[in-house]
Amino acid sequence: MSDVIALSNVSKVYNGGSQQKALAEVSLTIPAGQLVAIMGPSGSGKSTLLNLIAGLDRPTTGAVRVDGIQVNTLSEAALARFRRTRLGFVFQFFNLLDQLTVLDNVLLPAQLAGTKARTARARARELLDELGIGGVAKNYPSRLSGGQRQRVAIARALINQPAVVLADEPTGALDSRTGEAVMDLLTQINQRGQTVALVTHDARLATAYATRVISLRDGAVVDDTQLTAPAQHAPADLMHVHTGEDA
Amino acid sequence: MSLKFGILGLLTEESLHGYEVKQRFEAMLGGTWEVNIGQVYSTLQRVERDGFVETVGERGDRGKQAYQLTTEGRRALEEWLAQPEAEPQELRQELFVKLLLIRRLANGNLPSLLLRQRRVYLQRLRDLTELERRIRREGRDDLALLVTGAVLHTEADLKWLDAYIEEAGKLGPYHLQQTQEGNTT
Repeated sequence: MSDVIALSNVSKVYNGGSQQKALAEVSLTIPAGQLVAIMGPSGSGKSTLLNLIAGLDRPTTGAVRVDGIQVNTLSEAALARFRRTRLGFVFQFFNLLDQLTVLDNVLLPAQLAGTKARTARARARELLDELGIGGVAKNYPSRLSGGQRQRVAIARALINQPAVVLADEPTGALDSRTGEAVMDLLTQINQRGQTVALVTHDARLATAYATRVISLRDGAVVDDTQLTAPAQHAPADLMHVHTGEDA
Repeated sequence: MSLKFGILGLLTEESLHGYEVKQRFEAMLGGTWEVNIGQVYSTLQRVERDGFVETVGERGDRGKQAYQLTTEGRRALEEWLAQPEAEPQELRQELFVKLLLIRRLANGNLPSLLLRQRRVYLQRLRDLTELERRIRREGRDDLALLVTGAVLHTEADLKWLDAYIEEAGKLGPYHLQQTQEGNTT
């Protein structure tokens, strides 16, 4: 399978301050269709990495290629077009526009991309129904629960059928049950063929959903490992309960 | 929890003989603690001597003897159940000792061991989370709580390892990128 994301020798130094590299010589490839977790503590470079993939920021050195496009050399206008058509974003705090209805939030990227109104509307409706929030299409985001808002954000991320969905701590603002439902949705999206990059500091979340876990520390990739599918383990294969000597 | 109080606890439900005690104890813990039948018999004898249980009826088939809880036994059980556990934190894993020693020896194998250990924890976390979900689907919420405990302990182990890696990174000689095994893909 071809790589949908490829970084080669990417470094990022923010001017001012310490001149310490936010990312140092990172090279990695992500094949199309993977669900990969990018893990690390705060300050490890996760967000910088995501911003470089998304074209929200440019590398100091090195090359970033996403869905066949050399992102780091694009003009601002081309970058904006790239982000609208090739990428979907899901953020921790949803980033919905409160003055627009749910439906209009979802439609916005399609309108910006110049999709025919009728086509966009049909697709938005379909997505909202699939995500179980068709009933709140005319509501404003502020009236929705956190889980519903994140579903709206997912619908918005998918409206332009991007090759890559970037999710930055998508369950960070949700309770665990709602978070699980959101992750199940992202897994389904991935199973339909879209590449999903999940950024998280939460090892449990990363290992539960991703087959590949990339670990960052101090701006460098310190591990990149493929997890095996969980076998049907009996409890005793994985844990032992015991105490000290019996009284 | 010790086997002694486990036995007293199970006998609150009904009188049982030794083998039934073993089976129910193991079922309660999802097979995560395999109980030696000899230990069950010797513990039963001891708690009988202490007056916490007494025999019921005659010896049955193949010498099976059923036991029931006494008032004294129930009082001891309730006292034990009401006590919080204040034993020092147990760090049983050999890894704790291994890592402390490796640091002293500085033999250069540290990065590779750390990465391999980290992968073991990541995979375990995945397997345990999957187990937790499966057990919940099967309706065994009590056992699922036990698995949740194992998940949280694994997360703690991973955090401890990451703290160790952070420390080791500051020390320089164990620069973590030197490993050949860092990238598999």
